Amino acid sequence: MRFLRGLLLPLVALVGFACARSSTGDSVLVLLDPSLKRDNFSIFFGDLEKQGYKLTFRSPKEAEPQIIKDDVAQFAHVIVFSPNTKSYGADITPQSLVTLLNKNTNLILALSTKQTPLSSLAAEFSLILPPPGTPLISHFPQRDTPATVIPVEAPSVESVISPNLPPVWFSGVPQALGTNPLLVPLLRAPSQSFASDADSDSGADVVFEASEKGGEGLWAGKQLSLVTGFQALNNARATWVGGVEMFSDEYIKKEISKGKESGNRQFVRDVAAWTFQESQVLRIDSVEHHRVNETLPQEVYTTNDRVTYEAYISKFNPELDIWEPYSGIKDLQLEFTMLDPHIRTALLPSSEPGKYAVTFRVPDRHGVFKFVINHKRKGLTYLESSTVVPVVPPRHDGYPRFLSAAWPYYAGAFSTSGAFVLFVALWLAGDEREPKKGKGSKAE
Amino acid sequence: MPLAYSLPSNLSPATVANTSSLLRIIALSLISGAAIASRLFAVINFESIIHEFDPWFNYRATKVLAEKGFYEFWNWFDPTAWYPLGRVVGGTIYPGLMATSGVIYNVLHALHLPVDIRNICVLLAPGFSALTAWSTYMFTKEMKDESAGLLAAAFIGIAPGYISRSVAGSYDNEAIAIFLLMFTFYCWIKALKTGSAFFGTLTALFYFYMVAAWGGYAFITNMIPLHALTLILMGRFSSRLYVAYSSWYAIGTLSSMQVPFVGFQPVRTSEHMAALGVFGLLQIVAFAGMVRTHVSSKQFQSILYSSVIVIGLVGALAFGGLTYKGWIAPWTGRFYSLWDTGYAKKYIPIIASVSEHQPTAWPSFFMDLQFLIFIFPAGVVLCFRELRDEHVFVIIYALVASYFAGVMVRLMLTLTPVVCVAAAVAFSSLLDTYLDPVEPAVSEAVVPSTEADSAAAASPASGSSLGTDAAAPATGKKAKKAAATESSASGLASGLIAALSPSDKSSKPRGIFGLDTRSLVIFNAFGMLLFFVLHCTYVTSSAYSSPSVVLASTNPDGSQHIIDDFREAYYWLRQNTPEDAVVMSWWDYGYQIAGMADRPTLVDNNTWNNTHIATVGKAMSSTEEVAYPILRKHDVEYVLVIFGGLIGYSGDDINKFLWMVRIAQGVWPDEIQEPNYFTPKGEYRIDDAAPATMKESLMYKMSYYRFAELFGGQQAVDRVRGQQVPKTGPTLDHLDEAFTSENWIVRIYQVKKEDPLGRDLKSANAFEQGKKRKKTKPLARRKAVV
Repeated sequence: MRFLRGLLLPLVALVGFACARSSTGDSVLVLLDPSLKRDNFSIFFGDLEKQGYKLTFRSPKEAEPQIIKDDVAQFAHVIVFSPNTKSYGADITPQSLVTLLNKNTNLILALSTKQTPLSSLAAEFSLILPPPGTPLISHFPQRDTPATVIPVEAPSVESVISPNLPPVWFSGVPQALGTNPLLVPLLRAPSQSFASDADSDSGADVVFEASEKGGEGLWAGKQLSLVTGFQALNNARATWVGGVEMFSDEYIKKEISKGKESGNRQFVRDVAAWTFQESQVLRIDSVEHHRVNETLPQEVYTTNDRVTYEAYISKFNPELDIWEPYSGIKDLQLEFTMLDPHIRTALLPSSEPGKYAVTFRVPDRHGVFKFVINHKRKGLTYLESSTVVPVVPPRHDGYPRFLSAAWPYYAGAFSTSGAFVLFVALWLAGDEREPKKGKGSKAE
Repeated sequence: MPLAYSLPSNLSPATVANTSSLLRIIALSLISGAAIASRLFAVINFESIIHEFDPWFNYRATKVLAEKGFYEFWNWFDPTAWYPLGRVVGGTIYPGLMATSGVIYNVLHALHLPVDIRNICVLLAPGFSALTAWSTYMFTKEMKDESAGLLAAAFIGIAPGYISRSVAGSYDNEAIAIFLLMFTFYCWIKALKTGSAFFGTLTALFYFYMVAAWGGYAFITNMIPLHALTLILMGRFSSRLYVAYSSWYAIGTLSSMQVPFVGFQPVRTSEHMAALGVFGLLQIVAFAGMVRTHVSSKQFQSILYSSVIVIGLVGALAFGGLTYKGWIAPWTGRFYSLWDTGYAKKYIPIIASVSEHQPTAWPSFFMDLQFLIFIFPAGVVLCFRELRDEHVFVIIYALVASYFAGVMVRLMLTLTPVVCVAAAVAFSSLLDTYLDPVEPAVSEAVVPSTEADSAAAASPASGSSLGTDAAAPATGKKAKKAAATESSASGLASGLIAALSPSDKSSKPRGIFGLDTRSLVIFNAFGMLLFFVLHCTYVTSSAYSSPSVVLASTNPDGSQHIIDDFREAYYWLRQNTPEDAVVMSWWDYGYQIAGMADRPTLVDNNTWNNTHIATVGKAMSSTEEVAYPILRKHDVEYVLVIFGGLIGYSGDDINKFLWMVRIAQGVWPDEIQEPNYFTPKGEYRIDDAAPATMKESLMYKMSYYRFAELFGGQQAVDRVRGQQVPKTGPTLDHLDEAFTSENWIVRIYQVKKEDPLGRDLKSANAFEQGKKRKKTKPLARRKAVV
């Protein structure tokens, strides 16, 4: 089966388009506020279309096309570029967007400094927005743009963002992060930046006082996130962007310094690739388990069996649109669990690409166990697998027959039997010779 | 010798013997037929269905046995029970019942009779009740004679005390165990009477069967040694006793250890030590006896006896020491609760929570045994009069079983056979006396006796006969017996007087004159029998034939209305949930869910793991937030509760709730406290006045979720508790209502998965309902140092 797949996949790849694709589908709905000109985002949208995405545009207030029809999500991805829109069509509510995410649709959502339904939705993703009307401000570095338009260094985070990108232009609202472990901050605010409603120096004292009161954790510094990814437990991805402008042609073309292009184009491309499940997408193709020296899985295992567990993991290759065996995970673990993990062991890549295998001894405890893989790393698809196998005690004939520890009992049994035979023989033999004595002892 | 009525005299003794034996056979087969027929009410009124709780497991196990064969059954590990611990079924059951059905199934199929295994299971108990009647006949025959045996067989055949555990569909261990009990006792008496090693071995074999069939085998394990010990103490040691006991104990113990569930218990636990002790004592006594035949000095004899006592004491001390050191397992809780009825409630709520472990209420003695319970003492007294070895057995059995039946409702079952036997002995003595045509010869003047007076005062009905028999010339024992029987039937006190003070009246002539007294008493006696039959039929049909899986109520027009909520819900589970969906419920319903819904359960009626049950109890009695991680950890997908508030089904989970609390409290005394579930006044309420802990508990929420809506704005009333339910019912965040049966008896909830956004389900629900979230502030990593 695996062999066959290995043969087939390159063939499929050859037949398919040689362009980047998402692993979940290529239909994209763009909810574009009419106030934002579509032409202003032509580079971003053009790049997406070039990759093979089918973009459908809709104004937020229109009713068609619906995002969910008959309980089925109509698009594989939804881009919500309506940061200032306060009222949406009937089918778009914060709740329906969450439903969409639950139905495995990926979302890119743009925020603004205004209070909109989206900013209340952000709270559900454990994002904490500053009060309305407080954009991110930074006076550094010295530049000719307003203080709200900031060049931000974009380090490569979790292999989502391409390395060595030039700084990206950002303007918009920062987000403080809650404790939710599903958040993947993709772009952090510069250290010198802060959120404030005034870009002049007159309000500086207020900001300073507020930060004194609230400790360091106020709306300032590197702990704020500007672009935040979120991978839900069902592996659907949502990305919150502090300002829609960073996707615009204007910012993409805007030079960081003389002759040096900004990193926006590649950055938004990377963000979209991650969000639309092109990059960093893994899956467990299959898991197998069997006893050592066997190939077929057992329905049940006996305590103390030696068992081999194998998992086949592949990674999505967006360029070829295929799943390729992937041996790059170094920290994969296998748990053998009944209520609590009885065994937790490293599941290391083996010689075959994409195969991870481990052999271990089943604990000396019967019950219903589970082979559990639970690999959750920021940015990567969560790998979860749970296979139930009962572990049973040995069968009635599965125990050792003779125990050296039982020799005293064997000796006792055999000596008693022997003595009995001897006694009977003596008794019978003696009875004939001395009938009187025999009778006497018989009568009690 | 004058006769009250004439008997045909031209019959040869052989004819009489043959005819009576034919009549006996006919009578026995009719009794068997009656025994089986009266147990079929359940099938006729409802259907051929397995009853109650435990039978569902036995039935499932039997199916495995019939389908996969004995060895697979022996090694059966059930991964669906006690999820995720699983249950080693082969090693934790008494396989006798399943093996019996399996054998019957295979035999029938070998004969090309394709009988469904379910029907075998349903009809096994009635079938074995016929055998019980037969073995009781054999047993009683040893006590008195065949006619007493027939009476005893008839009694046990229809006595409700036994029927309650053996109606068709009540496929439980007791179904075959009572037959085995009686037959083992019969073999024991036979072995003791004849001193035959063959019957001793037969006793052992049936004892083995009993061990394989029912945990109550410990009753035999202690009854026989007790009997033997009593005989020794009465100075009735004989080689017959020695042979019977030794062959039974040696073979019986060895074979009982072959049952995996019993294993080494016969040599390691206190319950079995009496048998071992008596075995040892018998050897010593036999040895002493042998020595005595060689040494004829009286002094030596007394020394010997004292040494026997010393050895006995040393043995008892050694036993105590071994128990103290832990070599012999100490008494189990179930055993303690036999002596101290309050023990279980204090220390092992899981045992006390079972209704059949409660002490017996007085009316149930009458309900289960009717007039037998009144003449039962008379039979015991009659046993005193003859006091052969086997009568000692019946007396001990009667004493022990009466005590146990008073302690636990379910042990009524072990009392019933001895009541039937003793009552049959008494009743047949009465009939013997009054059917005997021989009249006493009148030779002396009428002298009224004190005994007759007292008896007459106690019972006007029997006054006439007693008044005359005092004047009658002596015909010996029989008349005295008659007097005893008669008076004890009317009153225990006078019966005892009659039985215990016969010597001073020995010179007085006794007997019964005329047909009138005879017919009066006989008529009365047959009236009692008739009412007994009516009572048994009525009780059986009305009280003991409900499958409890299917309930019945009566429509206003008198027709029967079947309430089939349980099966409705179980089949819903079966057809609408994935096959490996774990269902959590209170343990009472575990076997039924496994049997009917075929889904894994957390706990079931095999209450072997108290902690696991307490875990379920904790989940049920704590708040949703506490319960949810427990549910997720155990992979629970559905939670099932029984709610009787709508139609007034009183055996529901809210009424059992305090037991859940108590059992959980036993394991987590810091988290669950029983007083929190009562109002400050100490009342158990579910209405507005219910305490917060109660209202927040998962069980309360699941029971009353959306209950008030059903009443459409009117005051909702819980018909079991008779209390008004709050108008705004509880809300559920972590569970979804999945199914509620027609009469709301069974409610099934689905456990929600974790929120995909990683929120807690409560706030996820609040968001879903459009509630505004409170504005949060970013977390301060570190406070500024001022």
